[in-house]
Amino acid sequence: MLHLLKVDLMKMTSYRTFWVICGLYFLTLGFTTASGMEILKWLANKSLEFGASININRIPLYHFPDIWQNLIWISGLFKIILAVMVVISITNEYQYRTLRQNIIDGLSRWEFLQSKILTNVLLSLVSVGMILLITLLTGFIYTPKIDWAFFLRGTEFFLVYFIEVFSFLSFALMLGFLIQRSGLTIVVLMLAHMIEAIIKVNIFRASVNDQIGWLKPLFPLESITNLVPMPFARYAFQEIQDYVAITAVVVAIGWAILFNYFAYLKLTKSDI
Amino acid sequence: METVLSVSKLTKNFGKLCAVNQLDLEVKRGQVFGMLGPNGSGKTTTLGMLMGVVNPTAGNFTWFAEPASHHTRKKIGAVLEHPIFYPYLSGRKNLELNALIKNANPANIDKVLNIVELSGRQHDKYKTYSLGMKQRLAIASALVSDPIILILDEPTNGLDPMGIAEIREIIKRIAADGKTIILASHLLDEVQKVCTHFAVLKRGTLMHIGPVDEVGKGEEIVEVQAFHDDLGVLLQEFIGSATIKKEDGQFQVMMKEGFHSADLNRFLFECGIVASHLATRKKSLEKQFLEILADAK
Repeated sequence: MLHLLKVDLMKMTSYRTFWVICGLYFLTLGFTTASGMEILKWLANKSLEFGASININRIPLYHFPDIWQNLIWISGLFKIILAVMVVISITNEYQYRTLRQNIIDGLSRWEFLQSKILTNVLLSLVSVGMILLITLLTGFIYTPKIDWAFFLRGTEFFLVYFIEVFSFLSFALMLGFLIQRSGLTIVVLMLAHMIEAIIKVNIFRASVNDQIGWLKPLFPLESITNLVPMPFARYAFQEIQDYVAITAVVVAIGWAILFNYFAYLKLTKSDI
Repeated sequence: METVLSVSKLTKNFGKLCAVNQLDLEVKRGQVFGMLGPNGSGKTTTLGMLMGVVNPTAGNFTWFAEPASHHTRKKIGAVLEHPIFYPYLSGRKNLELNALIKNANPANIDKVLNIVELSGRQHDKYKTYSLGMKQRLAIASALVSDPIILILDEPTNGLDPMGIAEIREIIKRIAADGKTIILASHLLDEVQKVCTHFAVLKRGTLMHIGPVDEVGKGEEIVEVQAFHDDLGVLLQEFIGSATIKKEDGQFQVMMKEGFHSADLNRFLFECGIVASHLATRKKSLEKQFLEILADAK
């Protein structure tokens, strides 16, 4: 296992594009999640009405335990950048025909796929670690008085965040193996949410929504989005889902397995 | 002798096209085995199946008397078609990656870089290499795991005469080390120079298989030229001649078995004719190759 991860990392760590994209990902992710308070302050200055009506310091954006879900939801928006990197890593192997040479050199096709999946696991773990670090730092800075009894409430979202990133990277991996050309794959990846939305709009017409509406959360990208619900409505005194829905987790894991399995089928059945 | 590769009834269809048809082959340890055939005769498809990148339609094969798997592939060094490497990695890094995949000893890298004379450019990116250097790096990567058998597919393709000579030298040196080599080529001269055995493929079908040094055995052709008007008639009277052809002002006499050029020379002398040109020609692989392909029509 570790051997296979080493194989893929060796390809990546000398690849400048990999460092540029990962660097951009972690920089934008880090700065965005860490600068929420600054954005609020800027908003308050800019719009006097907003500043006058709301005391921004009373919005507990960065207060434990709210911070867990808040920052994790924001971070989820950035996973597409990492997914583009995964697509490039896989389509490169087709473009350079190095996939073929790797197999000739003695990797099995399944081992080749494993090396890519393991890198996805690693990228997901690093994302989780990064957010954990930022949350702890900003949380301790901004939380006026930490209530230790509720401190850990919401940390289960880290596990879910891992599943969210990994499932999405698995989706990108599958697209890469199926389409094999980088430009086209990236376009499909970008449009995937929209394509799924169009399909859902056409299937779930108002007339049938009552009967088959329960199917909606089973859609792949929807299931990934459902993992971490958008939390900010709670600051407008609305009820939000601040817990992890087990069914959403099961569906998303199911899709992650399927994505990787489809890639496996494609890779083992075709001549390369 | 130990069998390295045994192929039985191997077949590959691409849709309606039959690229490889019921191929049977056997390669023994120490052979330098040439695979010949015109472009599109199924050489690369066959090697692709043997190396696990093309799924066979039917038939099977064993390496080292074991069923083929990625474990057996680790003991083979192979380059199919053209060199394939990561363009953004240096030559050395590419070899390190090959060694990692093959579980080979990284200490071999310096050795193989020396063999192909690339030590000086090892830290430059692969994409800056010339075609000849790419081909040599490919041979180095095939050697890095110190494999039992080496598979080279058109290793001199697209090289200039110097590059071709260099690669040929490298192959000869490797063969002298006792390694088994499978060499696919459409350059007959190349195969005749380095191979011990050869097989001829045509449209996916095996036309011929046998040792190279049997080529031209049994039949000796003697070219004769002399200042004599009836030389052709006279040559027919010689009991040793099987057939006589006139080509470019020379007579080509195919000798019956047991007769040699000396016998012909003596005969001419006894008739009072002195030959101005008398040369023995062994049948070249090229000639035999063309005959094999022509027979197949």
